[in-house]
Amino acid sequence: MSKMRKLGALVTSFAVGGTLAACGAGGPGEAGGAITDDKIVLGVITDLSGVYSELAGENAVEAVRMAVEDFQAKHGDDAVTDTIEVISADHQNQPEIANTKAREMYDREGADAIFDVPTSSAALAVAGVAEQNQKLFFDIGAGTTELTGAQCNPYTYHYGYDTYMLAQGTGTTVTEQGSENWYIIYPDYAFGQDMNKSFVNAVEGAGGTVVQSDATPFPNDNFSTFMTKAPGLDPKPDVLGTMQAGGDLVNVVKQYNEFGLREKGIDLAVGLMFETDIASIGVEPLAGTLFTTAWFWNLDDRSREWADKFKERTGSRPTFDHAANYSAATQYLEAVQRAETDDADAVNEELNGLEFDDFFARNATLREGDHNLEHDSYLVEVKQPDEVEEDFDFTKLVETIPAAEAFMPVEDSGCEMG
Amino acid sequence: MITARLLQGGGALRWTLLVVGLVVALALPWFVYPPIATDMIAWALFAVALDLLLGYTGLLSFGHAAFWGSSAYATGLVAIHTGMPFYVAVLAGALVAAALAVPIAYLSVRRTGIYFAMVTLAFAQLIYFVANQWRSVTGGENGLQGIPRNLFGLDLSDGFYFYYAALPVILLGLFAAWRIVHSPFGRVIIAIRENPARARALGYSVDRYKILVFVLSAFLAGVAGGVYAIGHGFASLQEVYWTTSGKVVVMTVLGGMGTLWGAVVGAGIIVQLEDYLATAGIDANGIVTGAIFAITVLLFRKGIWGTVAQLLGRRRRDDRDAEPGPVRPATTTEEHADAR
Amino acid sequence: MDALLQQIFTGLVSGSFYALLALGLSVIFGMLGVVNFAHGAFYMLGAFGAVTVLDTIGVSFWLALVVVPLVLAVLGMVLERTLVRRLTSLDPLYNFLLTFGLALILQDLVRLKYGVSSQPYSRPDLLQGSFNLGLFTYPRYQVFVLVFSIVVSVAVWLVLSHTRIGMIVRASTERPELTSALGVNVGRWVTPVFGFGVALAGLAGVLAAPMRAVNSEMGGDLIIVIFAVVVIGGLGSVFGSVAAGYLIGMLTAVGNFYVPALSQSLVFILMALVLLLRPAGLFGREESMS
Repeated sequence: MSKMRKLGALVTSFAVGGTLAACGAGGPGEAGGAITDDKIVLGVITDLSGVYSELAGENAVEAVRMAVEDFQAKHGDDAVTDTIEVISADHQNQPEIANTKAREMYDREGADAIFDVPTSSAALAVAGVAEQNQKLFFDIGAGTTELTGAQCNPYTYHYGYDTYMLAQGTGTTVTEQGSENWYIIYPDYAFGQDMNKSFVNAVEGAGGTVVQSDATPFPNDNFSTFMTKAPGLDPKPDVLGTMQAGGDLVNVVKQYNEFGLREKGIDLAVGLMFETDIASIGVEPLAGTLFTTAWFWNLDDRSREWADKFKERTGSRPTFDHAANYSAATQYLEAVQRAETDDADAVNEELNGLEFDDFFARNATLREGDHNLEHDSYLVEVKQPDEVEEDFDFTKLVETIPAAEAFMPVEDSGCEMG
Repeated sequence: MITARLLQGGGALRWTLLVVGLVVALALPWFVYPPIATDMIAWALFAVALDLLLGYTGLLSFGHAAFWGSSAYATGLVAIHTGMPFYVAVLAGALVAAALAVPIAYLSVRRTGIYFAMVTLAFAQLIYFVANQWRSVTGGENGLQGIPRNLFGLDLSDGFYFYYAALPVILLGLFAAWRIVHSPFGRVIIAIRENPARARALGYSVDRYKILVFVLSAFLAGVAGGVYAIGHGFASLQEVYWTTSGKVVVMTVLGGMGTLWGAVVGAGIIVQLEDYLATAGIDANGIVTGAIFAITVLLFRKGIWGTVAQLLGRRRRDDRDAEPGPVRPATTTEEHADAR
Repeated sequence: MDALLQQIFTGLVSGSFYALLALGLSVIFGMLGVVNFAHGAFYMLGAFGAVTVLDTIGVSFWLALVVVPLVLAVLGMVLERTLVRRLTSLDPLYNFLLTFGLALILQDLVRLKYGVSSQPYSRPDLLQGSFNLGLFTYPRYQVFVLVFSIVVSVAVWLVLSHTRIGMIVRASTERPELTSALGVNVGRWVTPVFGFGVALAGLAGVLAAPMRAVNSEMGGDLIIVIFAVVVIGGLGSVFGSVAAGYLIGMLTAVGNFYVPALSQSLVFILMALVLLLRPAGLFGREESMS
């Protein structure tokens, strides 16, 4: 603690020339079997005010709180500790803020694990902090495969979805169903480029052809260029795959309908879509559109049961990000309970390779090789307007993609766990 | 010697300020979370660099993120690929920023006044698009991750130590800015701000001076951006986005243009405020930032430093320097005729 | 060839928005010497205005096209009277900063009220479907946007060139020295002109609502492109702003088609070229340069 001592050490180390490395790491917690400060602290770093604040945001924090309460209710006096705190921070989608807040949570506020962190750059930055501090991090909100690829580390888990999974579900299944010729448009930044690559692989792997794929400016509000181009391609595409997200996706769908592409025999498939997107575009323009999701609340009774509790509490239906935050926090707390300590390495041993099944993650494995959560994913279709029974009841299941096929095989991930 | 020059530049007050400033800088990580303290000094130098242009030359660059960000990337690349001490990486990054500034300055000084602001903003946006597209180098939206803090084998992973490793670089940068302002060159740029036609009549090549100060400013912004990237361990698109340009302008204006000290104060306040807002649960960052802008510009244009100085009744010979640069009647100067 | 023509047409539609926004920006700048950073925010407010009047009082698109710009004109005039006016006698940089602050505030207020997801807004019934334009078919709504924006631009031009108010505005836009020298009382027109410029931005926003995502961020990045457009056209030139608007729209669309990777940078590269070769802008007057 004493800063004087620290500075003293620094001065000495300058003089001696680098002996600091030896004492710098400091002593990590007491020996096994203990809970540091007699409490568990869960940190949620998310976007509370920007573009992801509805699909993640405050309700993601709320989902983690629900997980804590359910954990305490379940274990009662047998719980490993009585005190479990949830702290949160708004990273405003700025990786710098995420990075600093993650450090602060681990260093100063005693956070044992951090959750959510949408935006790839922020997620990768926090992953770096987790590795440095040797504390656990469960990324949910970001889609980049780098987290479980070249930039993977032993303290970071990717929990929910990634670009590979999204493409695998939609690209493969839609092609196998007979829409063989694809025209893909993707926003020209990392997420879009990854999605495009994954989609091309998936489509071609299933025997289809990507007639053309075009990068579009990001952000962009006029997609007419691509809409007018689509019917003229040779061979004429059966399906337009759009990898746009958020406001750009809304633009694409509005203009897809304006140009009447569906009437010209070109279906629409979307790379990544949330209930919040469907609400802002409207069900009618999207009816019949296919996309892959990690989960949706109306999947079955188990899911609905949780979604009802969530709605009671927050007033709205959960997105898969919310469900995944709950699931990840629960799995983490259970692992602490089993390990009887919050020491990250001991908990990690419980989690690494864990096979489980909960309402969010079915047939799930926290893979040892790359720390990606492997679980069933779902190809879904946007309902027809007359099928919608309540707000956010927008999708129905087309096909379940089994866990083993849904995610990138470990050996392809490029992850070398340190 | 340095001390002699300091004495030359002003009286006891300036000395006191310098000592106080130095003490604050040394003590900062005891009071502020060290990574935040590092952010503060990096932004302080960035704001001072902007102030060279805005406060002293009367040119509002709304695209300084281009230099802060390009140096962040360049510094990161050098640190990752060469493993050299981070001082070298930061220097390399700043040189890249300065090199980038040459063509941008050359084109931008063709317009003055408000045009200059729009043009720099547009160029910065161009740099942003390049950074986004050039994924093999910058990592695109994922950012350039894993920038090491190399320094002769020292373990700087603790933010507390890193702060003291970074401080000398920043102080050197601040000192350079101070030297520039109080040199004959500084007198010329202030003269250009006050009356470009007269400066030209006196035989100064106004454009060349503007380009030079622009490049110097970009270099210092690059030093700051490099330190920032090393401090965070990565560089992202945020560094080159226009909101970053806006943020540094807020800092300078809030603190007080044309004072150097003001920029430092403004940076400290804004960084602290942003950190506070991240956990405060007040979901209104835009409103807060926007209101700071509007209120400062409407009610105390001299900024915090300028206002305090005025309240203290500090009427000194070099008070003219302390006045915000661009306060001039709208119709007389050549700048405005052009801007229209 | 068909494809190229179609791209040009697409570009003209994008250009319609650029032109209307650049026109408003130019007129305000001319009259007040203010570069209105909040112009993108007013465009966003226009789109939200259309959504709001539809949701609350059921006002159709057509009425919104009239009502919303009027409301925004009033808002603009109030802002001019209460805030902008205080700074017009100072360096224009101060108003640039003030309006930047206003833009942040307006954007955040809208986000707090409506959230971050885009608001649904559909095309008016009359403009569903497509027109057959001979060589290709094109959505009716987009054709309407193009025609409408041209009509508005021409109308503004006629007003500026044939009425007394117009003469004063144009004179002070393009030759400020001359106007004050002739002793014309420019002052009383300042507030209405500011309101008018804001109304044009609002009009563009209403036009955007049926074909673009309506969210609080829609004007944020756009304003930077508009800045580049007016630099290219010549900020002092009313005609230049409009012409550059359509031109940039076309070039971007054609670029989108042939070199997608470059299309976003294209406008800024063009700006650099214009600064290099013709610093006053394509349609600006050289003598206004120092």
